[in-house]
Formats: sequence, C-alpha cells, structure tokens
Amino acid sequence: MAKSKLKAALDNEKGRNFKLERQRKQEKEARKRKAEKPEGKEGDEAEGGVPLDEVELKVAPKSNGKVTKKAKANGVKIATPVEEAEWETDNSEDEASDDDEKATYDLSRLEDSESDVSGDDEEDEEVGETLGAGGEDEDEEDDVDEEHEDGDDIAFSDIESLADEDRADIVPHQRLTINNTAALTAALNRIKLPYGKLSFSEHMSLTTDEDVEIADVDDDLNRELAFYKQSLSAVKDARGLLKKEGAPFSRPADYFAEMVKDDEHMGKIKQKLMDEAAGKKASAEARKQRDLKKFGKQVQVAKLQERAKEKRDTLDKISQLKRKRSGADVTATNEEDLFDVALDKSDKPERGGRGGEGGNFKRQKKNDKFGFGGKKRHGKSNDAQSSADGRGFSHKKMKGGAAKRPGKARRMNKK
Amino acid sequence: MAAVYKTLSATSGNEKESTERRNKQRVLILSSRGVTYRHRHLLQDLYSLMPHSRKEAKFDSKTKLYELNELAELYNCNNVLFFEARKGQDLYAWMSKAPNGPTVKMHLQNLHTMEELNFIGNCLKGSRPVLSFDAQFEKQAHTRLIKELLTQIFGVPKTARKVKPFVDHVMAFTLADGKIWVRVYQINESEPGKKKPVDGEEMDVDPAPKKKGKTEFDVQLVEIGPRFVLTPIVIQESSFGGPIIYENKEFVSPNQIRSDLRRSKAGKFNSRTEAARDSKIRRGDLGLLSHGGRKKEKDPLSDSVLFA
Repeated sequence: MAKSKLKAALDNEKGRNFKLERQRKQEKEARKRKAEKPEGKEGDEAEGGVPLDEVELKVAPKSNGKVTKKAKANGVKIATPVEEAEWETDNSEDEASDDDEKATYDLSRLEDSESDVSGDDEEDEEVGETLGAGGEDEDEEDDVDEEHEDGDDIAFSDIESLADEDRADIVPHQRLTINNTAALTAALNRIKLPYGKLSFSEHMSLTTDEDVEIADVDDDLNRELAFYKQSLSAVKDARGLLKKEGAPFSRPADYFAEMVKDDEHMGKIKQKLMDEAAGKKASAEARKQRDLKKFGKQVQVAKLQERAKEKRDTLDKISQLKRKRSGADVTATNEEDLFDVALDKSDKPERGGRGGEGGNFKRQKKNDKFGFGGKKRHGKSNDAQSSADGRGFSHKKMKGGAAKRPGKARRMNKK
Repeated sequence: MAAVYKTLSATSGNEKESTERRNKQRVLILSSRGVTYRHRHLLQDLYSLMPHSRKEAKFDSKTKLYELNELAELYNCNNVLFFEARKGQDLYAWMSKAPNGPTVKMHLQNLHTMEELNFIGNCLKGSRPVLSFDAQFEKQAHTRLIKELLTQIFGVPKTARKVKPFVDHVMAFTLADGKIWVRVYQINESEPGKKKPVDGEEMDVDPAPKKKGKTEFDVQLVEIGPRFVLTPIVIQESSFGGPIIYENKEFVSPNQIRSDLRRSKAGKFNSRTEAARDSKIRRGDLGLLSHGGRKKEKDPLSDSVLFA
C-alpha cells in the first residue's frame, strides 16, 4: 500500500479533489448520453408512434417502477388490469412538464451508469426512498428529479428543519450518495476475520437472529428495553457457546482484581443512591406530616369541642345541684361535700323525699318567698344565668309561626 | 509454580496454534486537541474497558490525519480509534484499520460518560466483553463493514496482555434510526433461588431459565456506561485517506443544524422589521403620517439654506 500512500501524498500536494473529479466525470458521461439519446428517441417514435413515456419505460425500467410506486402512494388505483390506464396516469403526471420528463430520462440513464458500478443495493435503496417520499407533494418529488440540473439548491434532508412558509419556495436537492458497494465488500473481505476458522471464544461477537425493532427512538424506556433484551439474549447464547468450548465464563467469588470503576467511584455512586433514597424518604415523611397536620387540626377542634361540652355539662349539673340544695344548706356544706355527696345522692333521695316530705317542700317554698335566709329582693327577676337560658325559647313562636290560639268562640265550641 | 503453569499453558497454546488461528488486535486510542472534559472522560472509559488499547497524547493536527498511520505503526497497533473534536462541542470518531484498511468517520452524539451516569454496574478491568450486534448490521454493505470494524476494535482478543479470563460484561451495538447506539452492561449471575441483592435497572425482565446450562442460573444485566450514539458519515478506502466509498447523505452536520436554527430566528426578526417598515410606508402613502413617513424635505426658503 506504499504506492497508494505515495499517490495520496502526491494528490494532496497537487490539491486534487477526488470527489469533484468523480462528479465531473459523471456529468460528462451524462452529457454524452444526452447527446446520443435524441436520435434513439426519434427512431422509436418514427417506428410506431409510441408515447414518450413508454420509451422511457422501455429504456429505463427502474424509472417505471418509480412512477408506478408514486402513483400507488398518491392513491391512484393501479389495480385495473388494462395497462393503458396505468400509462395514462403517468401521462397525466408527466404532461404537466415536458422538461421534467427529459430530466428524469437523463437521470435514469445516469443512475443506470452508476448502478453498473455499485450493484443492486442502490436500486433497492432508490425504491425505498421513493416509497418513503411518496407521502409528500408531487411537486417536491419532481423537484428532486430536477436536482442535478439546478445549480442553487438545498439539501433534501434539510427541508424538515425549515419553517413551513419557507419550504414552498425551496428547490431541494439530495446530496450525491456515494455507496460503492463493490469497494465496500472488497474492503470488508480484506479485513474480515476468518470466522469460520476461529472459535467463538476468539472473537465473542454475536448477531441477533431478528432485527431489533424500535418503534420510536425517542421513547426512552422501550428503546432501552430493546437494547437490554438484545444484550441479554446475546449473553445467554454466548454463555452456552463458551461453556461448550470449555472457556471460563463467570468470575469465581474469590477472584478479586481491579475493577473498571474503582472503589472511590462506586462509593460515590452508593452515596448518590443513598442520598436519593434518603431524599425520597424525607419527602414521603414530609408529605405524611402535612397530611397529619391537616387531619390533626380537625381532631384538635373536635377534642376542644368535646372538652367544652363536658365542662358545660358538669357546670350545669353543679349549678342544678346548687339550686336544688341552695334552700337547705348552701352555706353549711363545704364544697367537697357538696360535690361528692350531692352527685351521689342527687336523684333518689330528692325524688323519694318529695312525696314524703310534702310539708317540708311547701315550707321551703314559703321560706324562699317570705324570707328565712337569703336575699329577698329581685327574686323573680332575671339574672345572668336565667337570661342566658334559651331552653324555653323558640324562634318559631317569635315569628308567629306557632299555632295561633283559636278564637274564644271556637274554643267554646270545641268544649 | 507460576512459571510451571506458564510453561505448561504455553505448550498447550502452541499445540492449539497449529490448528486454530489467533485474533490479534491492538487499538491506538487518542483524541485531537480541543476536546472537552466529557470527551476526555469517554476516552478514559473506553480505555479502561479495552485492555488491548494504547492511549496516546492528543494529536495536534486535524488535517494531516494520515500521520496517525505512522503513529499506529510505532506502537504496533493495527486499529486506530481517533476522536476529533470540533468547535469544542462536536465530537467525531474515526475508526480505522491502521496500515491500509478502511476508515469510518462517524459523528458521536448523546454522549454520557460512566462518571455522570451513576450506574451501579461494574466489571473487571481487562475482562473480555461479549459483543452483541443487531441483525440489521448484516443488511447493507457499509453496515457490514462497520460491524467488522467495531468487532475488531471493541472486541478484546484472548491474547491481549492485561486480559482477565472471565466474561462479565456485554457491549451492545444496535442500529436504529440510521444510527448506532452503544451500551455496556454488566452480566450479573445469580442462582434462581436467591433474590438479587442489587438491581439497578428499572426494567425487570424475568430471565428465562437457561436451556443448555447444567446448573440453572438467572442472568441479569446491569448497565455500566458509557452511552453514546454514532452516526456514520463517510467511509474511506484506505486508512485516513483514499477514495470515499460510502457517504451518508442523511447526515446533517451539527454546524448546519445550528446555522439553520440561527437563521430561523433571524428570519423571524427580519420579517417583522420588514413588515413594520412596509406598514409605515403604507401609512405614509395614505397620508396618515406627517411627511408621508419620509424625511422632511428641506424648505428652500429656510434660514439654514439661504445663509449656508
């Protein structure tokens, strides 16, 4: 390869550009073909007056496939068995611009010349491309065909990146693909390892049986899952193959050696994981606290209410007792006695006593009224407690909603 | 004892050599000047994963890449993995078979180094990886070539100097969207009865029990890192030179993307200012503005004109 090196150096010095040269050569070829072509076409037309498209189809079957594919993509029915119908659709497309047709013609010749070099692969690619592009406008495709003749243009792959309003005015072109399949295979054969002779443990490379399908590369989870599955299957196969060859696979537990990530790095990762876990835990705790707080407030309010109610009840009871006892010995009993004894005996003795000690009850009332201890004035007037007492109060009555007392005549009648 | 073992193993190796071919690879890893720290870390990660590689100082020139061939020859390397940084942000990876093999130039994107990924996977330094390829690599000539190059560069040969005899990680190359996605996983084996102590991956694919293995083992993968995506751009016939035998027309250079972005932004501004100017002129023509939106003509009788 010393020769090529030398050559390369020479070329470098001369400033030779291989790409440009190649392109120029192709252009020249195309021009030559173009010069030849008109004669042939005329001859054909003279022969049988075949429509132009058919000539094209005859000469370049590839372009034929292209056109029909295009028609399919555009939703034109090709299912009709009559061939002419198909040609007609072609016509309708191509009549729009005769120049275009010429261009496609030239192009097809040119591409043919290319494919002579590169083989079948390119053809397949071409068809795939037209299929892919089928969804777009026809005009755009025609423009693509024109690409080689136009000077100022823009790369086809750049179109998507432009804004919509700009897209209309642009004449797209595709960068000239170089895919020299023959050279590629030659290069591959030159460097290829002799896999047939090598045992698996020498190269340890595996290819999946089926394509790894990734529907959407932007879908992170599914994409990574596909990678994971691919490698997992490879690992399983490799393990089997290596075991069969007797090569060691798994590391024994007592084999220690330097790792790719050192302890410091692993410590950092561990710390990071722990921090993450701690953060998660802390946030969960905080949320729990927040919820509890919200709930706790309600609980507290309920508790306070309950306590207040209890207090009120006991106070009520006490006051009742006080009132009951006030006649007998309000002053005599000290408080503790009052509480204990009164609470215990509050109901029964009084009830029982009422019947038996009728005179005593009367006496008490009289004492209340006419004085025998205690204050005499304002006995019937409201005090703070009685005025706050709303037991007898009814807002219904206040509003006059209560059943009105019937008139006197009616009452008499009822009797 | 070790000497005895060595001699024994050497003899057995010699016997084998008569029947089997050896796969000998050495890789020169280096970068151009102007790499960022992430690029450098990626280089370091790859170096640590490839015991058969030789790291070199940054290469000075970006135009005379053919000098790399001599460098490779100097270090007995038959593969070159060269990272070229441009504008301090774009990274291109060149893979080449050194003396006269083909060269592939690729654009390296979506780069995440081991350090920033925080994956809990780990593997022995110098263990040999299983290389896993997508079946799509076999479909086209250029991908077949790329696959061969990847196999030879990233596959660690058995005879490498610092190699460890066990297999504890797998390198996956997948073709998707016209790009090559690279992942590295640790192989984690555990007996099925025991529950795994660590499982970093969020996806818990239940590994089916092995068909062939006598002892049943669960195999799980834990990612190690780094991650990156390669877009093939150009394949040259010889090493860092020669005719171009493949060119990817789908590839849009990052410069183009950036300039498009800028232009689209600039376009917005331009159209706005243009519209503003047009409306001003229109309003002027309609007589809605004083002096018709133009500069006031000089009064021929003003003092400044008369006494100039």
